[in-house]
Amino acid sequence: MTDAIHIERLHYRVGKAFEIKNLDLRVPTGSIYGFLGPNGSGKTTTIRLILGLLRPLSGRITVLGDPMPEQHARILGRVGYVPEQPHLDATLTVRELIDFQAAFYPSWDRAQAEDLVDRFELDGDQLFGRLSKGQKAKLMILLALAQRGDLLVLDEPTDGLDPVVRRDILSALVTYVSERGATIFISSHLVHELERVCDWVAVMDDGRLITASPMEKLKHGTKRLVLSGVPREIGDPPFRMLSRESSNGAGESWVVGGWEPGMTAYIESLGASVRDVIDLDLEDGFVELLRSFRGRTPHP
Amino acid sequence: MTQMFRAVLYTQWKWSRLIVVLGTIAAFAIPLLSLQGAARADRGALQAQDLLRSVQSWGSLYPLLATALGLLMAITAWAPDHRGRHIHALTLPLPRWQYVLLRFGAGFVLLAAPIAAVSLGALLASLTATIPPGLQTYPIALAVRFALAVFVAYAVFFAVSAGTARTAGIILGVIATIILVQVVAGIANIDLNIFGAAQTVLAIGPGPLAVFTGRWMLVDV
Repeated sequence: MTDAIHIERLHYRVGKAFEIKNLDLRVPTGSIYGFLGPNGSGKTTTIRLILGLLRPLSGRITVLGDPMPEQHARILGRVGYVPEQPHLDATLTVRELIDFQAAFYPSWDRAQAEDLVDRFELDGDQLFGRLSKGQKAKLMILLALAQRGDLLVLDEPTDGLDPVVRRDILSALVTYVSERGATIFISSHLVHELERVCDWVAVMDDGRLITASPMEKLKHGTKRLVLSGVPREIGDPPFRMLSRESSNGAGESWVVGGWEPGMTAYIESLGASVRDVIDLDLEDGFVELLRSFRGRTPHP
Repeated sequence: MTQMFRAVLYTQWKWSRLIVVLGTIAAFAIPLLSLQGAARADRGALQAQDLLRSVQSWGSLYPLLATALGLLMAITAWAPDHRGRHIHALTLPLPRWQYVLLRFGAGFVLLAAPIAAVSLGALLASLTATIPPGLQTYPIALAVRFALAVFVAYAVFFAVSAGTARTAGIILGVIATIILVQVVAGIANIDLNIFGAAQTVLAIGPGPLAVFTGRWMLVDV
């Protein structure tokens, strides 16, 4: 099965301040793929490159099996997109925007659009510019879903929305994926939100990909180890050391990625003992990943 | 493609309907007003010279109206896309040149209304006015010329407003450079007339802007 999105050695630069360098990313077909990163990490730029809104300096992007941007019109016919900021014309009504969008997509599902208008409690005669932030987000999600695309690309779709609207939107997305077997690529800095719905997650910072793995692996493989008797030099461990701190004088606290239970044997081979293994939730893991990455990367 | 064009046409109508309606009324009224004195029962027909003078002065309104319609329609064609930073348009599933063509076509279809209004107004004015002997009416020629002027104005302004702020900056920069060169040449007593040359190239036939110049006469010898 081909990947819904496949990026190879992508390079893009905006002036001298920011660049995406050697980005490799594979988004499996049928996954709900969370794209995490702090503000300014390059998530929106990556999404714009995926959609052909920006042209890379080098590298290759394949979306739904076709090269982007060479086949952008063909690809965009199968991709629903919700940008970070409302991009629709404020002077058109909800109904007019739905009709406009429908004209461009042969696969447009009128029944689903009507259903979502009711479900999201949108007023068809209301101007887009007069809608609340939550209603705007709902309408943009509606337009993306009714296209019946094979891939939805959502750039911080629920940022700044109240929990009720967030839940409505996420529930609509999960329903869509379960019915259509589509792929969702969703960027956010709201870690808890992605933790609930995503089965894959990638973390980006400063234009570079820090990690990409199945959600379960990331969640369950990221641990805080409380250790005692640890020597100063530990060689090359079989897990990823995200942080290492001494705690209470005698012991140490490590945050590690890719942890598996059998790895306690490695710790013991160092002459140390594992006093506790604490599960970290995604947010803690995310913070530790970023801290570890930034510690290793020289910043200007 | 028809559905797409209809959708684009509808949005364009919504954004520019006031311009289209007012432009159509003006386009219909100008030919009628230009011959208003030609057949007044109380005063008799205007003399040929008076009529030509009146028609000529009213005639300067046609290129002005054509330019205004072209400019305003071009601005409204792109303004919502500019406001949304073109993201919506660029993520629609069609080649970009096709989208541009749809937008251009929609604007021009709407401009057909004032063009038709000039034709109707000119025909009506020609039929109802008493034209002094030796003069002829040219309603169709006037309408065709008006259509051409509207098309040229719309095409030029459409291309300019499609560009980014950077494009506008480049255009302004080129104009500013030409002005600067002309001023410097004037100070240095160098025989250089860029504006004259530009006028010759652009506004004198067969220059692209020649359609705006000269006399716009509904009635002529």
